[in-house]
Amino acid sequence: MDSNPQRQKFIIPIGPQHPALKEPGHFEFTIDGEIVTYATARLGYVHRGIEKGCEDRNWIQSLYLLERICGICSHVHATAYVLGVETLAGVTVPPRAQAIRVLVAELERIHSHLLWLGVAAHEAGFDTLFMYSWRDRETVMDLLESLCGNRVNYSANVLGGVKCDVTQELSDSIRKGLDYLEERTHYYLKVVTTDETFLGRTRGVGSLTPEQVDLLGTVGPTARASGLLRDVRIDSPYAAYPEYPVQIVIDHGGDLLARFVVRLKELFESYRVIRQILETLPAGDLTVRVPRKIPEGETVSRVEAPRGELFYYIKSNGSDKPDRIKVRTPSICNWASVIVTAIGHKLADMPMILAGIDPCFSCSDRSVHIIRNTDSTSETWTWQQLRQYGIQYYQR
Amino acid sequence: MKNTIFPLIALLFFPGGAFVLLSGLAYEWVDRKLVARLQNRIGPRWFQPLADTIKSLAKEEVIPDGVHPTLFIALPIIALAAALTAALYVPMAGLAPSFSFRGDLIVTLYLLSMMTLCTGLAGANTLDRFSLVGATRTLTQLFSYEAPFLLALLGPAIVAGSWQISDITAYAREHWWLILVTQPISLVVAMIGLMGKLELPPFDAPEAETEIVSGALTEYSGRGLALFHIGKNAELVIGLTLVSAFFLGGLANPIEFLVKTLALLVVIAVLQSLFARLRIDQTVGLWWRYGAILVLVQFLILVVLKGMGIL
Repeated sequence: MDSNPQRQKFIIPIGPQHPALKEPGHFEFTIDGEIVTYATARLGYVHRGIEKGCEDRNWIQSLYLLERICGICSHVHATAYVLGVETLAGVTVPPRAQAIRVLVAELERIHSHLLWLGVAAHEAGFDTLFMYSWRDRETVMDLLESLCGNRVNYSANVLGGVKCDVTQELSDSIRKGLDYLEERTHYYLKVVTTDETFLGRTRGVGSLTPEQVDLLGTVGPTARASGLLRDVRIDSPYAAYPEYPVQIVIDHGGDLLARFVVRLKELFESYRVIRQILETLPAGDLTVRVPRKIPEGETVSRVEAPRGELFYYIKSNGSDKPDRIKVRTPSICNWASVIVTAIGHKLADMPMILAGIDPCFSCSDRSVHIIRNTDSTSETWTWQQLRQYGIQYYQR
Repeated sequence: MKNTIFPLIALLFFPGGAFVLLSGLAYEWVDRKLVARLQNRIGPRWFQPLADTIKSLAKEEVIPDGVHPTLFIALPIIALAAALTAALYVPMAGLAPSFSFRGDLIVTLYLLSMMTLCTGLAGANTLDRFSLVGATRTLTQLFSYEAPFLLALLGPAIVAGSWQISDITAYAREHWWLILVTQPISLVVAMIGLMGKLELPPFDAPEAETEIVSGALTEYSGRGLALFHIGKNAELVIGLTLVSAFFLGGLANPIEFLVKTLALLVVIAVLQSLFARLRIDQTVGLWWRYGAILVLVQFLILVVLKGMGIL
């Protein structure tokens, strides 16, 4: 790689520790003046071996481990997992539980999108918007806490249903919170679409054509901002989405502005769905019994995380432990689009383009692909090798 | 005896030296607190800037590999010295400048630019890539705001018919409404130029933390960083004093000084929290496409009015 003339130029390293990154990742931008001519990304600093860890735990324990893959979208990870396991076990979850799953998922989407709005505004140097959106995000965090007892890892799901119930009192406070958030979201939409300095940083920056999106396998709001109809909630509705359908939100701009608009407009859709669920919440049980041992088989479970399609492959060998769980998070699908769009843009746009896909580094770090800096060879390590390396590393 | 004591006091305590340093810290606190309140935050306590400065001054200064050590240590001192010297020529606290000579306006403006030059050199002196990009941006920004800023401050000088700060201030005190009515463009350009000079948002591309960490000063720690910091605070006070003396009807006494400079600081704080950061190319475009043209239009107005005998 070092013979590549592009790499002998001025390289700006961003990460693993950098003020723009809230999680560790490493990016190298080759720049010519202020223009980026080449970009590489290196991930894997927060690999935690969760997929492998699940194989040593039983089906219920794995749920809690998988929920901790991501601190922002923990509920969708749990939902994808429980939906898959319930399919394998052949149980039907009560409609009230399914509706509450969707309710929590949409509340989580609100929290995630508001968080992203703040981070993206901060990357653009617009700290006022950052502070305001995070202040308002507290509303939805408080609602989630009063619903599930936790602000971050909600633990709303169990195999065969949900743990928390929505009382009349809670439903009123959620409605009240949503009214406030809806008003604020209208305001934020106005700010990001009319503020001239902010538009100067987002309009026409990081543009992706629908063809590129298709080629790079981009998912979620990033794909929808380029005009692609790609949303698991609509393509193959799961949980209670068949009863509470969402309207797809798309924009044809393809640039950062379109991503802002799509995410903010999705919030209105979430508010609408939550209100609908609260009005017509079916009565009934919250859980059904799921056997301790899951019958042999394999399944694929897909859900729409705030960042895009979340994919779970679950294989059971008939015991009380999973045989294999494979997770593919939306962030990992979106990385390629960052590297492609970075080239030709200015260095000042890099944090914005990075933030534009709403990256989640710890979600991405699944496989281990070792590239040695010393002799520039690359190899994929097995679990055994990795474990051995870890033991040797800490013995020194 | 009297001849040596007075200049010493002027240099070390008032209006240079300690007074500028302390008022700089106080103004920094006001600025930070105002921005924080505008952003719905609590903001720092009143002694926070002082505590930060003392902490930085007490810490070890790491001199990185590959720098010119003398230059690395000297640059912050030069920057601070230039800012403190500039304080001697402006009507600090509403009192007459300690030293005054014909053309001291130009000298003061160049002394104020030393800070930016030293920051740029400090960045270029290191091998750090963030510093190098930061230094390039700092100097690019210098070339974009400097000319319009200078021209804006020359507006009052032209109508006063003098390039001596004390003369211009005296003129401004007598004709404050005339300056306000005929030179609003200069006032706006001077204010925004001051924000560019101090690298305040939205002109903080040279130290954009999400891109290049801390820009030109990334490698500075401890004493050097503290000196640059104090120097920038001193510039804030001096810049506010100059602008309010020229455009807001002069500074006759300490109360007028406080009211006028703090009013300007409030405007600056509001502007800081209103906008997203401009890219460096947007900054240059803004200054040369609008700033410079506006100031030239202002000059044209002044020349015409002067020709008509109004001014």
